Amino acid sequence: MSDRIRRALFLPFSALLLALVPGLSAQEGGEGGGPPPEEGAEETKPDDEKEAKYFAIVGGDVHTGTGAVLRGATVLARNGKVKEIGYGVFVPPGAETVDATGLRVYPGLVALGATTRLSQGLGAAEGPELGEDEFEHSHEGLPEIRWDGLLPVPVAPESHVVGDDEHPELQVEEEGGDEEKSEIEDTFDPFNSFLVLALATGITTAQQSTAAVKLKRYEIDGVLLSDRNLASVTWGLANPTGIQSTRKKFAKAAEYLRELRAWRARGDKNEKEPSRRGVDTTALKVLSGEAQALFRVNSREELLGVARFAQEHGFRPVIEGCAEGWTVADELGRAGATAILTPRGRSPKDERFVRPGGASIENAAKLHAAGVQVAVRPESTTIDFVGTAGRDLIALPVEAGFAVRGGLSEQAALEAMTIVPARILGIAHRVGTLEPGKDCDAIVTDGDLLHYQTFVQYTVVDGKLVYDKEQEIYFAHIRPRPKKPEPPKTEEAAPGEEKAETPAEEGAEEPAKDAEGDDEAEEKAKDEKQDDAKDE
Amino acid sequence: MLALLLSGLLLAPASGGGDLVAIRVKRAETVASGPLEHALILVEGGKIVALGEDLPVERGIPVLDRPDWVVTPGLVNAHTRVAGERSPARLFEPQSRPTFDVDPRHEAWEELLELGVTTLGFYPDGSGIPGQALVLHPHGKTLAEMLVADSAYLKIQLQASASSKKALREAFAKVDEYNEKVAKEREKWEKEQEKKKKSSSKSSSKKDEEKKDDPKAEEKKDTLAPVSQEEEEKKDDKKEADDKKAGDAFVPPAPDEKVKPFLDLRAKSLTAMMSIRKAADYLHLLDVLKKEKDVQFFLQFPLSDDGDLYEVATKIGEKGLTVVTVPEITLQVNSLRERNIPAELVRAGAKLVLTPRFDTLRGHEDWRADVGRLVGQGLAREAALAAITLEAARALGRADEIGSLEVGKRADLVFWSGDPLEPSSKVEAVMLGGEFVVGDVP
Repeated sequence: MSDRIRRALFLPFSALLLALVPGLSAQEGGEGGGPPPEEGAEETKPDDEKEAKYFAIVGGDVHTGTGAVLRGATVLARNGKVKEIGYGVFVPPGAETVDATGLRVYPGLVALGATTRLSQGLGAAEGPELGEDEFEHSHEGLPEIRWDGLLPVPVAPESHVVGDDEHPELQVEEEGGDEEKSEIEDTFDPFNSFLVLALATGITTAQQSTAAVKLKRYEIDGVLLSDRNLASVTWGLANPTGIQSTRKKFAKAAEYLRELRAWRARGDKNEKEPSRRGVDTTALKVLSGEAQALFRVNSREELLGVARFAQEHGFRPVIEGCAEGWTVADELGRAGATAILTPRGRSPKDERFVRPGGASIENAAKLHAAGVQVAVRPESTTIDFVGTAGRDLIALPVEAGFAVRGGLSEQAALEAMTIVPARILGIAHRVGTLEPGKDCDAIVTDGDLLHYQTFVQYTVVDGKLVYDKEQEIYFAHIRPRPKKPEPPKTEEAAPGEEKAETPAEEGAEEPAKDAEGDDEAEEKAKDEKQDDAKDE
Repeated sequence: MLALLLSGLLLAPASGGGDLVAIRVKRAETVASGPLEHALILVEGGKIVALGEDLPVERGIPVLDRPDWVVTPGLVNAHTRVAGERSPARLFEPQSRPTFDVDPRHEAWEELLELGVTTLGFYPDGSGIPGQALVLHPHGKTLAEMLVADSAYLKIQLQASASSKKALREAFAKVDEYNEKVAKEREKWEKEQEKKKKSSSKSSSKKDEEKKDDPKAEEKKDTLAPVSQEEEEKKDDKKEADDKKAGDAFVPPAPDEKVKPFLDLRAKSLTAMMSIRKAADYLHLLDVLKKEKDVQFFLQFPLSDDGDLYEVATKIGEKGLTVVTVPEITLQVNSLRERNIPAELVRAGAKLVLTPRFDTLRGHEDWRADVGRLVGQGLAREAALAAITLEAARALGRADEIGSLEVGKRADLVFWSGDPLEPSSKVEAVMLGGEFVVGDVP
């Protein structure tokens, strides 16, 4: 009874909070981790039109990631941000351009849980940065089952996740050190070869330990996009006390937030502010919307438990693993869950129960159909020249392709590698789609991104060309880029003349066009040119 | 013309000391102004006093005629610990010098001299910020005889890691702290001076009032410990005495010995040698030095690991930085493509200093040949010669004394049987400060 009342009271508040917080976090994230005044001072400079740097990807089929496909369109970036996408876009003279005619343009991919060698190279294992193990262990499918006499006892994978009550002393320390920032800004190696391989795969942003990192090449400024947007929460049937302690912590944090709001509403200056003592910071962060709760669960029971728990407290859970998610897709959809899936991951069905279970190729499709946001990460989240080839980050699009094989739409598969992971990392306002105002992180491919044969030809990060397949030693020799047929140039015209003319022509004509008439105008222009050629 | 000028020059010194000697050789690699054929070098008082092509020599001056020899300035190894022990301990000892690591009786010194090495930059041991390097001649019975200067550069190792960057940032933050402290002290001192002026003017006219006012003012100053009147009077006396001693000038408090080197860096009286290992380290170094525009530094890196420094060669070249490295041809990361990074740096505009590939006696033996190999693969010959002489001397802050064959410079000369960059050439004689220390020379 009291529980229900509490829930009824709480939900509106939390909904309000959820609505408010993304805006706040967007502001915070926008600073790129640096101190605000400096950033502002830096940004005012390039706003000077003379110093503005333009970059254009011209003539490709632009898959913006929002659902739209613009065939033969132009993406224009100004100072690293997308300024315009469309037809008849005026490209200022002097702008660096990439000719994407006959190629496809996608937003840069976002890799979840990538190992730190992407941003630091091999030699950078020092410091308190979390290594590969932190992420590798989390994808073991269903909990291991140990036979204890006659009865099977599922064993939870060991994890040092916030929420475990085993080391209360440690917990206190962690609360103090919670604000510790990611060291990526001091350790980033923009020249390391794994980063180049990531760019060759189309990955322009990667989760590195607790942070989201822009994979910039040749520079180290502004690589940190967000930090600690995810908070791991313990949940596993093998560890019932862990679940209990998580429940307690969230209940206490919710109570504290209620008291705090009530206190603020009363506005009584003589009254003391409610004490934060004993309130779990992780739970507080999740409930106040500062961080998203991350559950690493796979089995149906656990998933249902997480869905209900999240609904009780009014937050949207991020569920990594989610192997049996397809059996409870509706419940997860109602809870507003986001799932991080490995479509090629395998997990067996628990044969003790008569009901659907285990991994399914349709997992992603069914979850997506039920309203669950789907993100994809491969079995191994590292990049290497040897070993895990085909199952690591180098094959991220292939992983998403498998979800398509199971019925997921291609658009959803693209989103699973771009905007959904960006939302999970709290950086959807910066990356994840090609939209005006967002960072110009784009890849140009020679075919459908989800096809196994497709290569990334160019990668653009923050409006700068950082990877060109033909110029790097890795894949240049495999199916070399077909040479473009030379446009029927007139031999009489001196090259110097042409150069002088084109900017003037564009400058005079293009801005005058209105948005709707662009297509026609362009066609006309083409016709005119052809006519000219014929005449000569 | 030159001969005429020279004869004038020659007359004066000839009447002076008896240590005047003229040496006639096939060629002189002056480094500063290219090669001189049929060169004559006149040495007096340990310095080069004249230098030219086919110069006539006054009668009475002893002439050493060696028409087969080639003379170069003495080789300078700006970054060595040969004959010293090494350990990888991480340190923060910016004030220390490796004086105790130099054993003047070590046999390596003489052998180095025989290889034509006349000056060494002996760096302190350890990673992090281990201290400042010494400048030595590998010749002498005591450290005092060997020592040229006790502070060539401050060695700083910087990597792309939070702790390494933090150490350097904090070191400069301490300088800021010290500067603030000095500013406060100065303010205090200035106030005191003013007060003294007032009180002195008052004391002449109204002594009684002063006694009433003064304690109050003093109390305001020293709020921590209320002092009795008698003591205060003593204190005042003392202060006056102090002030008289120090004169009217303000004496700033002495900085901590670990802060001083960084203070010197900002004041440009000390240069930093930044040891880095990969291209990313350079960007992180610039990041740390963003606010330290005054700090003068040069780079040092080994070319043994993955060596991706070609990635920042242009950036280093644009700044015209000096780079200390080894004569090594490396492979591009993940490929078999050979890269001559020293040559790339020179082409980009950087100044090059080359040290032996291995910091051992054997390494010093191969040094010239390795440099010659780089020349064979695209490094400019002048840059290669300067890299083991003049630029190395510049890195040690001694470029106005040694490193090239110029009038007025110290006569540290090496005489070779042929081209110094040719492996077959041998050292025939070595002159250190005007005296032959190696070679069978009368």
